[in-house]
Amino acid sequence: MNQVIYAENLKRDYIKIKGLINRKKTVITAVDQISFDVKKGEIFGILGENGAGKTTTIKMLITLLAPTSGVCKVLGFNTFGEEKKIRNRINFIFGGEMGVYRRLSGRDNLQYFANLYHIPRAEAKRKVEEVLKIVGLSEKADDLVETYSKGMIQRLQIARGLMNDAEILFMDEPTIGLDPLGARALRNLIKTLKEHGKTIVLTTHYLNEADELCDRIAIMKKGKIVALDTPQGLKKLLDSTKTMELTIKHSKHNYSEEIKRINGIKSVDFKEGEECDNYLIKYDSNLNIVSEILKVTNEIISFSQKELTLEDVFIHLLGERV
Amino acid sequence: MKKIVSIILGTMKIQMKNSFVRPMYRFCLIVNPISNTILLYYMFRNSQMSDFMTYVILGAGLSSLWECICFSSVGDINRERWYGTLPAIFCAPAGFNLIILGKIIGNTVLSLISLGITVLTAGILFGAGIRIANLSGFLLAFLLSICTFVVISQVFAYLLTLSRKTILFMNCLSIPIALVCGFVIPVELLPNWIFPLSYSLPMTWAVKLIRGTFDVNFTENEYLFCLAILMIEILIYTIIFCLLYRIIDRKVKIKASLELM
Repeated sequence: MNQVIYAENLKRDYIKIKGLINRKKTVITAVDQISFDVKKGEIFGILGENGAGKTTTIKMLITLLAPTSGVCKVLGFNTFGEEKKIRNRINFIFGGEMGVYRRLSGRDNLQYFANLYHIPRAEAKRKVEEVLKIVGLSEKADDLVETYSKGMIQRLQIARGLMNDAEILFMDEPTIGLDPLGARALRNLIKTLKEHGKTIVLTTHYLNEADELCDRIAIMKKGKIVALDTPQGLKKLLDSTKTMELTIKHSKHNYSEEIKRINGIKSVDFKEGEECDNYLIKYDSNLNIVSEILKVTNEIISFSQKELTLEDVFIHLLGERV
Repeated sequence: MKKIVSIILGTMKIQMKNSFVRPMYRFCLIVNPISNTILLYYMFRNSQMSDFMTYVILGAGLSSLWECICFSSVGDINRERWYGTLPAIFCAPAGFNLIILGKIIGNTVLSLISLGITVLTAGILFGAGIRIANLSGFLLAFLLSICTFVVISQVFAYLLTLSRKTILFMNCLSIPIALVCGFVIPVELLPNWIFPLSYSLPMTWAVKLIRGTFDVNFTENEYLFCLAILMIEILIYTIIFCLLYRIIDRKVKIKASLELM
């Protein structure tokens, strides 16, 4: 596969100046020397907490922001200085209710953006109908966007992003605001786009979505990439840890401390119920957990091994927030 | 070329639709010229100026036109910022400068309605009209005035992409420019120290030129002098814009001023 995105030691600082006379300059590093590449036809995910630098990375890739230092190339061209060679070959979808003209109809919005992407009028007309159908807005196409629901605006944004048949589509939290059916339809659309050879760079807070869609995922923390691999590869980071859900007959006693004392136990989360209590136990994969638990209590109702998820990896890498 | 025309026309159309649905814009476009005409008529009625109606009509018309352009073209940057569409148009292959040009031409064309409303108000309420002494000269001056408004608005609109305080600057530009450029009162009545500023703005010469075409005593030499200076200033501001475009296009990507923070 060819490389379509290349970033090396990419850095972006924001400078904030406070005060009029005693000007105080603060430098905030949003993206801190990250390196990665994306191959043609790949779905590349960028995950991270709010403020981790995902959106800033996307903005540099779509030619909206200049990098402070480092290399940032899309389709072989620098995103700062060679923007014109990139812009008609990419498109982007930002999550939320922004990015479209609210006092125009959905159709007017799409026709206008088709014009801005140099799509000939006849083709634009056909394309508008096509994308409206894809996002399920055909019937509301002539209504003003200000009458749309949050999800409909988000779908219109997606339609806008599909207008120029871009080689690379950047999606920054595209399922925000979509209902479960809308989100599922978008995931299917992303899969279809991949089948058609499109490259997609996706940021999301929904880890299941990233797990389902992405070929590779970069996890960002405070502007840096702390892990980059396939979803399976990322889960292998936690291969030495297993998770068990344990249900015990309700008692006034919380066994967390006794369980924690077992050699090989990494963490225990306790949830008290009316008839039974639940424990989520993370432990060393070499440990014979059931026999060890039975030494603590024989009131076990059920236990089940929990599959490792991206969320486990995410929490492991970024740390749990209190 | 076809692509450029298509983008300008497409943007003009969208801009006109977008502007006209805003109540504030409709107020500036329709109510403002009526109230300006009435107020200026009563202010100038006892001025003992023989041509005071040209000041009333041109003053009210051009002030309203400038206000519409100012609140729309310049304010548009802020609106696009709030809609979240500024990044989308900035990164579009069409080119941001062309899109801004289309928006400004669209606004200017639509704002011409305010000029028509001024003439109608003066005619209906006060039975006043304007007698054009030099029709071909007036048409040329009028066309150049439109170019002046477009060029100046483009310079301001582009400068304001650098700042998030657009509303503040927009308010600062509206009335002072109308006064400094002699829309309402002759520039000669202003303090001397303002002259350099007034005469460095092409609108001053555009207004002088238009007003001259209503005056039978305005000689051909005076007309040609004003015309020459106006054209030179339009050219200078166009060059300034071209330079600014390159600098600002680079600067907004470094400063990240296209979005709300």
